[in-house]
Amino acid sequence: MPISFKPVAFLLLLAFLFVSVLVGLASRSRHGEYYPAAGHSIGRLGIGAAIASNWMSAASFLGIAGIFYLKGYFALAYVIGWTGGYVLLLILLGGQIRRFGKYTAAEFVEARFDSPAARFVAAVITILITLIYCVAQYKGIGLVFSWIFGIDYTPALLFGVLVAVSYLVVSGSLGARRNQQFHYAVLIITFIVPLMLLARKLGYFWVIPQFGYGPALQELSSSSGLSYTSPWAFATPFEWMALCFTLMVGTAGLPHVLSRFYTVPNIRDARWGVVWGIFFIGLLYWSAPAYAAFARLMELQQGINLSPEAARQGADLVLLRAGELAGLPPLVTAILAVGAIMAAFSTVTSLLISGAGAFSYDIYYRLLNPEATEGQRMKVAKAVTLVLATVVIVAAANPPGLIAEITAVAFALAGNTLFPVFLLGLWWDRTNKYGAIAGMSVGLFITFAALVLGDGAPLLHRLIPPTSSALIGAPLVILVMIVVSLLTPPPPEAIRQQLADKVHGP
Amino acid sequence: MTGTAPALPDAPSSRFEEDTMPPPHPPQDIKPPHGINFFRPRPGYMRSKVTYIWLALGGWILVTFGFQFLLLASQKSSAGTSMLTEASLFGFPFHFWFTGQFLIVWFILLCIIFNLLVDRLSDRTRKRR
Repeated sequence: MPISFKPVAFLLLLAFLFVSVLVGLASRSRHGEYYPAAGHSIGRLGIGAAIASNWMSAASFLGIAGIFYLKGYFALAYVIGWTGGYVLLLILLGGQIRRFGKYTAAEFVEARFDSPAARFVAAVITILITLIYCVAQYKGIGLVFSWIFGIDYTPALLFGVLVAVSYLVVSGSLGARRNQQFHYAVLIITFIVPLMLLARKLGYFWVIPQFGYGPALQELSSSSGLSYTSPWAFATPFEWMALCFTLMVGTAGLPHVLSRFYTVPNIRDARWGVVWGIFFIGLLYWSAPAYAAFARLMELQQGINLSPEAARQGADLVLLRAGELAGLPPLVTAILAVGAIMAAFSTVTSLLISGAGAFSYDIYYRLLNPEATEGQRMKVAKAVTLVLATVVIVAAANPPGLIAEITAVAFALAGNTLFPVFLLGLWWDRTNKYGAIAGMSVGLFITFAALVLGDGAPLLHRLIPPTSSALIGAPLVILVMIVVSLLTPPPPEAIRQQLADKVHGP
Repeated sequence: MTGTAPALPDAPSSRFEEDTMPPPHPPQDIKPPHGINFFRPRPGYMRSKVTYIWLALGGWILVTFGFQFLLLASQKSSAGTSMLTEASLFGFPFHFWFTGQFLIVWFILLCIIFNLLVDRLSDRTRKRR
C-alpha cells in the first residue's frame, strides 16, 4: 500500500474532530463526563443508537473486515458472537441488573456479595479489560494514522494516541458530552456510503451492499482454488464455536455495556432499546465482510498475490485497501479512515474513563483513602487516565495479533469472570462472596493461562485459546462458584431478600 | 419456645398478592421461603419470566450452534463443504447467508418475541395488583 501523506484525509480528520467537539458542547449538561449520564427521554430508537454507537469500535469498524479477509467463514464467529451476546444480555441480565440498582460492575459485586475484597477484584478486572480493549483500539489508531500521514506505525501510534488523549482532555474539560445518536449516524454513514460506492463501481447490488456482495463471494470460491468460503477452511468447528460462545458471554459480562441500562428511566424502554441496538449494530456487522470480500476479489482479478506475512500485516486496513484497489476517489477512502478514527477515539475515551473511574472510586477511594474528597478523586481519576493511556502504548507498540483477536481476549476475560458473577449473583441467591472471589480468580487464571504458560503446555492453546477460552472457562467458573458457595456460609439474609423482592418480583 | 425459634422474615409487601406465597413456616423449618434459583423459579411472575428465558435461550443456542453442528454433520470434506455450502441463496453460499445474514435477523426476532412476552407479563401482573 502506498505510504504517502493524504491531505484530504488529514483535513477531513480535523474537520470531524472539530465538529465532534462542537456537537459535544451543544449536548452538554452541567456535569462533566466523569459522571453517569443523566436520563432524559430520547425514545427507544435513540437508546438503540446509543447502544450501537457505544459498540462501534475499531474492532467493529476495521477488525471484522480484517479477520474476514484472512479467515473467511471463521470471521462470522466474530460477527455472530458480537451481536448474539446482546440476546444473552437482554434475557438473562438486563432487567435484573437494573432492578438491583448498581451502576458499575464493581459496585454490583460489592452490594450483592457484601465484600470489599470482591469489589477490588472486580475493579482490577474492569481495568484489565479496559487495557486489553484499548490495545486493540490503539492498533487501529496507529494503522490509520500511519496511512493518513504516511509515517511508520510506531510514530503514528504515538501521534495518534496523543491526538486521542488531547481530544479526551479537551472535550472533558469543556464539559462536552458525546451525543450518542449523532455519533452513531456519523459512524454508520462513513461505513456504508463508501461501501455502496465500492459495490457500485464493481458492479454489484449497491443499494443495500450488505445484501449484495453474495455474488462476489461466489466468484471468490469458484475462481480461487483456496476454498475461501468453506466453513472449516481456516479453523476447526470447535474453534468456531468456542470463539462465538466466548464473545457472546463476554458481551453479557462487559462492565461498560451494563451502564446502558441505567441511562434510561424505564426498564421497558431499555429492553426495546436493546432490540433497536442489535438492529443498528447489525447494519454494520452485515456489511463488514463485504469490504474484505471485494478486496480479496480485486486482488485475485488484478493478480496481486500477497505473502501470508504481508497479508496478515495489512489485514486490519483492508477497508482502505479495498477502496484503493478499486480506485475510489481519495475523499471516499478518507471518509472511511476518519470514520474508523472516530470509532476508535470514542471507544478509547469511554474505556479510559471507566477504567480510571474504577481505579479512582473502587480502589483509591474505597480501599486506599476513604477520606478522599471529591476533588481528590477527580484528580486521581484524571492522573490515572493518563497513566492508563500511556501504559497501553507499550503493549500496542508490538500488537500481539489482529484488532479483532486482541479485542476477543478482553471479551474472554469478561466472559470468564464478570459474566458468571453477574449470572449467578442474580439468579442464585446462595452465591456468596467466597464463591464470587474464587470464581473471578479462576476466571482470571483461565483467561491468561494459555498466554502465560502456553509454550509449556500446547494442550492449553487447544482447549482454552486466549481468544476463545470462555466456552470451557465460563461453565468451569460457574461450577467453582457453586461448589465454593455451598461449602461456605450463605450470604446475608438482607441481600437474599432484596433479590427476591426487588430483582425478581414483578 | 419463640425465644429459640429462628426469626421469621418480614411480612412480604402487598405486591406479592398474585404470587402463591407459602404460609409462615413452623419454627423447625429452616429453609428460607424466598430462595432465588433459576432452576426452581418462584411461582408467578418469576416462573413465567424464566419460562420465556428458556424459550429464548433455546432459540438462541439451537439455531446458532445447531446450524454449525448441522454443517459438521453433513460435511463431505474436512473443510466442511457439503450440499449446504454449495447451495446458494440471494447470491450467497447458503451457509454464509445463514450465519452471516440470517442469524442476526434471528437474534432480533428472538428479542422482539421475548420483549412482547415480558411486556404482556408485566401488564398482567400490574393489572392484578
